[in-house]
Amino acid sequence: MRGQFSISRRILAWVDFRGRKPGMVAFVIHRVTGVGLLLYLLAHFVVLSLLAAGPEAWDRFVAVAKTPPMLALDVLLVAALLVHGLNGIRLSALGLGFGALRYRQLIWVTWVISAVVTAAVGYGIFATGG
Amino acid sequence: MRSRGVLRGGTAAWLGQAVTGVLLVVLGSVHMVAQHFTAPGGLRTYDQVVSYLRQPAAFVIETAFLVVVIVHALLGARAVALDLGPARHWQRRLDLGLLALGILMTCYGIGITLKVVLR
Repeated sequence: MRGQFSISRRILAWVDFRGRKPGMVAFVIHRVTGVGLLLYLLAHFVVLSLLAAGPEAWDRFVAVAKTPPMLALDVLLVAALLVHGLNGIRLSALGLGFGALRYRQLIWVTWVISAVVTAAVGYGIFATGG
Repeated sequence: MRSRGVLRGGTAAWLGQAVTGVLLVVLGSVHMVAQHFTAPGGLRTYDQVVSYLRQPAAFVIETAFLVVVIVHALLGARAVALDLGPARHWQRRLDLGLLALGILMTCYGIGITLKVVLR
C-alpha cells in the first residue's frame, strides 16, 4: 500500500504546475504528450489491422475518420506531436551543449511554433474535411 | 557487457532516444505528408494505400518508420517507468517486458504491411 501511495503521489506531482518554472512545465508536458502518443501508437496499430481485414473495413474506417470529432482528435494529435517533437529537439541540442544559456526562451519558442503550426494545420484539416 | 553497463547508467538509452527522435522528425514527416497531406480528402483509400506500399522506397521508409517509432516509444515508456522508482528486480523485468513488446509490435506491423503488399 505504501508503494502504491508513493507512485500515485509521484504521478500527481507531474501535473501539479504550482510554483513550477518553464523547464519543469516543459518536462511535464513532454511526459504527458509522450504517454498520450504511446497510447495513440497502440490505437494506430489496432486501426492498421483494418487494412489486413480488407477494403470494406478500411474504407468504413476512413469514413468515420472524416467526421468532425475525429478531425478534432487529429488536431490534438498534431499539437502533441509538435510540442513533444520540438521539445525533444531542444532537449537533444541541450544534451549536446547547445542552448543552455537561453533554455527558457527556447522553451517559449517551441510552444509558440507549436501553437501557430497547430492552428494552421487545424484550419487545413477542417477546411479540406480531412 | 560494457554496453550493458552503459545502458544501466542511462546514457545509451538517452542516446537511443535522441537519435530515434531525430530520425522520427524525418521519417514521421515523410509518413504524414505521404499518408495524409498528399492524399485527396486527407486519407488514402484502401487501393491507394496498397499501391503506395507496393513502391519499394515507400515500403522501406514506412518499415523504418515503424521500427524507429516503436524503439522511441518504448524507450520513452521505460524512462517514465524508471522515474517512478521501481525496485531493481522490477527494472530487469521492465526491460525484458518492453523488449518483448517491441519485438511483438514490430513483427505485427511488418506482418500487416506484408499482408497488404502481397495481397
